[in-house]
Amino acid sequence: MFKFDSIFTRFIALSLVIGLVSFGITVVSSVGINASAQEKKKIAVVTDVGGRGDLSFNDMGFKGADEAAEEFGVELQVAQPASEADYLPNVRTLARTGDYEVIIGVGFLLTDAIETAAKQFPDQNFALIDAVVDQPNVLNFVFKEQESSALVGALAAMTAAHYDYSKVGIVLGIEIPPLWKFEAGYRFGIKWGLDYYEKVTGEKANVDLLWTYTGTFSDVAKGKSSANAQISQGAGLIYNVAGPLGLGILEAVKDNLNQRGKESGPPFMIGVDANQDYMGNGNKVLASGMKRIDRASYIAVKRAVEGNFKGGTEVLGLDDQGVGLSRYSLLVDFMQFGLKGDQIKEENIETIKENWLEMREEIPQFIWTGVNELENLIVSGNVTPPVPSTEEEMKDVRKEYP
Amino acid sequence: MPKTDTTEETDTGRTLLRAEGISKGFPGVWEHLILNEIDFDVKEGEVHTLLGENGAGKTVLANILSGFYGSTAGKIYIKGEEVELNSPQDGLEHGVGMIHQEVMLAKPFTVAENVALGTDDSDFSYPLDKVEHRVDQLSENYGLEVDPTARVGDLSAGEQQRAEILKVLYHEPQVLILDEPTSLLIPQEAQQLFKVLRGMADEGFGIVFITHKMEEVMEVSDRVTVLKLGKVMGETDIEETDEEELTEMMLDEKIPIRLERKEFEEQSVSLSVEDIYVTGSRGNTQLNGVSLNLHEGEIFGVAGVSGNGQSELIEAITGLREIDNGRLIIEGKDMTDASPREIQEKGVAHMPEKRREIGVVEPMTVGENLILRDYRDPPFSRLSVLNRSAITNHAEEIIEEFDVIAPDIWKSETRILSGGNIQRMILGRESWRAPEIIIASHPTHGLDRRAVSHTWELFIDLRDRGSAILLVSEDLDEVISLSDRIAVMLEGNVVGIVDSDEADKSELGMMMTGA
Amino acid sequence: MLTRIYEQVKPILDSFLAGLIGLAMGAIIMAIWGYAPLDAYDALFTAIFGSFYGFSSTLARATPLILTGLTFAIGVRGGIFNIGAEGQVFMGALAAISVSLLSLPSGIHVLVAIIAGAMAGAIWSLPPSFLKITRGVHEVISTIMLNWVALYFGMYAVVEWLGDPQRAEKSISAATTSRLPIMVSGTSLTYALFVSLAFSLLIFFLLWRTTLGFELRVVGQNPAAANYAGIKENYSINSTFILGGLAAGVAGALQIIGHPPTYALYSDLSTVRNLGFDGIGVALIGRNHPIGVIFAAVFFAGLNVGARTMQITAGVPLEMVRIIQGVIIIALAAPELIELTNQLLPAVRNWINEVKTS
Repeated sequence: MFKFDSIFTRFIALSLVIGLVSFGITVVSSVGINASAQEKKKIAVVTDVGGRGDLSFNDMGFKGADEAAEEFGVELQVAQPASEADYLPNVRTLARTGDYEVIIGVGFLLTDAIETAAKQFPDQNFALIDAVVDQPNVLNFVFKEQESSALVGALAAMTAAHYDYSKVGIVLGIEIPPLWKFEAGYRFGIKWGLDYYEKVTGEKANVDLLWTYTGTFSDVAKGKSSANAQISQGAGLIYNVAGPLGLGILEAVKDNLNQRGKESGPPFMIGVDANQDYMGNGNKVLASGMKRIDRASYIAVKRAVEGNFKGGTEVLGLDDQGVGLSRYSLLVDFMQFGLKGDQIKEENIETIKENWLEMREEIPQFIWTGVNELENLIVSGNVTPPVPSTEEEMKDVRKEYP
Repeated sequence: MPKTDTTEETDTGRTLLRAEGISKGFPGVWEHLILNEIDFDVKEGEVHTLLGENGAGKTVLANILSGFYGSTAGKIYIKGEEVELNSPQDGLEHGVGMIHQEVMLAKPFTVAENVALGTDDSDFSYPLDKVEHRVDQLSENYGLEVDPTARVGDLSAGEQQRAEILKVLYHEPQVLILDEPTSLLIPQEAQQLFKVLRGMADEGFGIVFITHKMEEVMEVSDRVTVLKLGKVMGETDIEETDEEELTEMMLDEKIPIRLERKEFEEQSVSLSVEDIYVTGSRGNTQLNGVSLNLHEGEIFGVAGVSGNGQSELIEAITGLREIDNGRLIIEGKDMTDASPREIQEKGVAHMPEKRREIGVVEPMTVGENLILRDYRDPPFSRLSVLNRSAITNHAEEIIEEFDVIAPDIWKSETRILSGGNIQRMILGRESWRAPEIIIASHPTHGLDRRAVSHTWELFIDLRDRGSAILLVSEDLDEVISLSDRIAVMLEGNVVGIVDSDEADKSELGMMMTGA
Repeated sequence: MLTRIYEQVKPILDSFLAGLIGLAMGAIIMAIWGYAPLDAYDALFTAIFGSFYGFSSTLARATPLILTGLTFAIGVRGGIFNIGAEGQVFMGALAAISVSLLSLPSGIHVLVAIIAGAMAGAIWSLPPSFLKITRGVHEVISTIMLNWVALYFGMYAVVEWLGDPQRAEKSISAATTSRLPIMVSGTSLTYALFVSLAFSLLIFFLLWRTTLGFELRVVGQNPAAANYAGIKENYSINSTFILGGLAAGVAGALQIIGHPPTYALYSDLSTVRNLGFDGIGVALIGRNHPIGVIFAAVFFAGLNVGARTMQITAGVPLEMVRIIQGVIIIALAAPELIELTNQLLPAVRNWINEVKTS
């Protein structure tokens, strides 16, 4: 105790000196920084608690806004929350300044925050991605997931038929209306794909659907057990519609491949929302039904900067690249996210690219042609996947596309 | 600022340590300075005794001289050179070592390991053999018998103290400060210690010896300085003074030696212990079938060398230790398996031996500690809510009556009080109800003579009013002058019970040692 | 006289100095990484004190932290290192949502929700209490483990039982009758603040003005003396756990019924995550005193609120802001922290040794 006193006093003195010196330095440096700052239009992105580096929603939302900021010469401010309690205060703090052309909330977790703030600041433009808030100053972005699901459905069915698998699978999270769009689109795509397969090869393939609602968006183990069950019943491809459960599905795929001494599928996983193709070394996820958050944030910024921002709900589909099948260029972007988030290593990038290209080349060209044809048909409006909004309608879809 | 001390050479020898104008105040104790402008010195080859009541500031001065505390003001010279002592290590480097009143050794370690703990050369693999060898040497040189390989926790108080001295001697100091070294020792051990100290003084050590016991002053000192309430009352060579003069310097009044009491007549049994067996902390049997009866209006003394089962007996009676076998009857009721609370509620007061450890809660305030055992009862609490004004009144009464020096009832933590003051608090707290039964363990240990006589009066008064008092003490004089009957304990047994009228000090001493 | 005044203000002065040290070290860190410390601190303090809105946000954030701080503070007073506030908060929140399914008149509904939360927190504090009393399991270990149990139980409950049928990411929201009204419109500050403050005062009264509090503190400071004083140690330990559980449970309930805009739990429990752990810091800065805890919680919350503006107006990224916060908090909590670890380490070591040898 008595020795402590003197050491403590010295410590305080020393720290104060260091503190004063550093304050001095920083006064000088901050003056310099202030002088160089210039007036620019500003936009803001508010992430959910996943924050930057989540390799999914938040990174994509940032990517789109960042590209737009670059293109239109505006300043981008990101506000990350430390916890859920920060959502509303973050949005409010930004809105109170009145400096921002638009404040973009990335992800449905921000729904309540954007709604509350939009009411409080009626003159501020807000954008909300992947959820809908009914306020005149909020531009909502939702996605036609049924369209991307239809594409992966067709791809899955034809690939399964090609490899003589009798089933394709889909593993979903909790059964809530937004997920019906995925299921319905997938069912529709399978039917279309099988028809196309018969038309091209002249063979009638028999591929049935295995579907499981796991009731969770977080229990990875359930993803694995559901996928295992589907694989053992003969599923050649499994569509992940349950977020992180994809990790479990990938595990199941890997286990099956290991047992058979193989490196690459089938069975394959099909990713969702983000580009998940790089997972599993690039040759286990055949494709991903992507939701292009980046397109949404890009559009929001573009409208705000160009002065034609209006509240309402924008439904992004294949036609405006709001959803789509994963492609090579996007794979590269996502591997950059993966690198930053330490999910993959620099030295593996080349291997993943090679594996991915090899995997895709294994699939006969006619299948890709078929998928492209379906995409064109949907874009041109000749074909429309079903969008059930009630339980009854979903039942009908299940009857029509068993 | 003089670099050298001109008064260095004297008849006795060089001045080893000199302190000038030492003052000290502690946070929270503002009513007076603990030390006020103290001058003190010790020379080569002398035993210089610091004499004073509890709370006079002896320990604080010693701690400043040895570097444990910093002083608020003043200067310290060692061999004429001014030094600044910021830690005990500083003190040792300058040749000043202190042996504290409480043992300051790590109990799970051996003596040699404890010695090595304080050395600079204790690397990853300190040469334990070397340390043990050196400790052996030292203990032989100075007649301090201790096994260097024994664990400190297994040693008796006397042995622990010797180990402590050895630990300091290992650093080859020139000045040795001993703070009330005899308080834990039995008379024989104390005698042995005095011999050692004399021998060391003759070899040229400067010894500072702290005590409040007059006979020790006369026995061991060359010179004596009397402290009172932080001031030097006088300094004199031992040949030029006598006990009476010193006592007058130390106190303001003369002390009554012998106390009157009511005639003792056999009354009803308040508490009886029937053939009890108790297991000690280390799993060994500490009481082997002890039986005794405590009567109303009686002081029953228990004498014995420390560690012969007295502590266990008290713990068993007060419910703090489980009774393996036998019965405990209080006021006619079987309380063998009762909790401390039930026994307390039966009217049993307890003045524990370990005051700071269990007698008070040191970080809590003086007021709170004065109701530590009474807080459940009105007027101190009603419907579980404490009544501050009732507590304040109660505390003020006790403080007044027992001369407790406490700065503030509600602000001062009890830890800042001296041992004597804490003991006075406990005496007041345990006696104000005039309880039917009082279990008192070393009640005057560490008290100055005035407080001792006050305590004795209190005990006699309580006895005269009908309390049954069980008194455990190592101070044979106290046991004899206070008790009506005396039991002697040896190795967990009561080896004899004598009436104190017939008690003879040497006879009791022989019973205690089993001779 | 001067020294006397100095003694009185020393604790405050110490804290002030510690805060300055923290700020200075934070400034150095920011300067090294090329951010402007003055701008950042300007943003920090403007956020906290610069506007009514900022201060309201700070108070809103402080509301649950006061309570979780109390949990730890009560524990320390009673001789227990209760790390269990985290799990107890979860349980309190779940209980509050559950009872909000009932339909009750509004005043009573609020009360029922708070009581349900308090009860749930208290119940969740019983297993570690029981384990400590009967088996000597050290509470640091049992409470940390039970925090995880509560977390996964909570996530399960939110998804399986209390899920919002329309919004998978969150539970149903508390019924409007059970919500505490917003105090200052345009902010998140609700009357929950007064519940927290009242609870603090209640705990203060309990600890220093009742026999229960007296017993609890004696046991906390010196169990041997408690035994000597006739205090039932186990009863006191159990009371300490329960009081802490009540505080944390109320914190959980308030995060539901007094936490706009959602008035619900997210399925990862992020609504209530880390409140319990932050409470430890709050208690340490507040010197484990119920009143000190209030100020410490406001300070702690201020740093949180300031983090936002440091990010938004000074452009310091969240990660850096959190580093600065950590440095400041450690500087402030250091004295108390050192004392506590000195007490805690031997206890845990002894416990582990006992387990090993038995």
